[in-house]
Amino acid sequence: MKESLMDIICCPMDKHDLDLEIDEQDDTEVLEGTLVCTECGERYPIEDGIPNLLPPDMRD
Amino acid sequence: MTPDDGEPAERSSADGLAERRGMNVEVYQPAEDSGLLAQAAVERSVSGTVLEVGTGSGWVAQQVDENTDARVVGSDLNPHACRQARERGVEVVRANLLAPFRDGALDAVLFNPPYLPTDPDNEWDDWMEHALSGGESGRELIDPFLDDVGRVLAPDGVVLLLVSSLTGYDAVVERAEANGFTVETAVQESYPFETLTVLALTE
Repeated sequence: MKESLMDIICCPMDKHDLDLEIDEQDDTEVLEGTLVCTECGERYPIEDGIPNLLPPDMRD
Repeated sequence: MTPDDGEPAERSSADGLAERRGMNVEVYQPAEDSGLLAQAAVERSVSGTVLEVGTGSGWVAQQVDENTDARVVGSDLNPHACRQARERGVEVVRANLLAPFRDGALDAVLFNPPYLPTDPDNEWDDWMEHALSGGESGRELIDPFLDDVGRVLAPDGVVLLLVSSLTGYDAVVERAEANGFTVETAVQESYPFETLTVLALTE
């Protein structure tokens, strides 16, 4: 995901802002990392460049 | 149909859908409905930030990205679809409908929903069912989408929603109007088994 995606995404459960923790990135985008809700603390993984913003009970 | 064909295939009947299921069992591939949705978005020259909900193979998002000035993002519930759309070059988010999108952040929202009415006893419970089945009414995803899409839409934003005559056109229009939208027809085409319409919803 591109960092500019932060402008349009939020926590799917309480709609609060997310913090971006980057583990791996290239010139254009974040490849591995975590999105963390600033309100409820829920953590959403970014894997292979794809953020998984499903609520925990809908994840695989 | 392979994801690289680039052109929508004929959707002639339920048998055709079943046939296509066999060719790519996990991700819905572009068909006439995809072509109409892309056409409506390009003709309208959508701009700003555009989200395609349920992007599937990513074909529509790619068409809109290549043929407009918009920044296009795709979302899907299905992880296989997310990967396929990303391989196509679409910026993608795994999401349930509009849940992780900010209030007022989107200038246009495109949606070709799963709309086939499905007998609950005949649900087949795989990713392709998620891509095709709209539950018993055909509107099980359309209704929650219509109830939430006003939240994420920017002022002067537009929703382009594909509706099939199989789904109940009037019920969809009524639900949109109940949510405060003005509804107009952007594109409409008739096929042997259904009429497909892209509705443009504005606030």
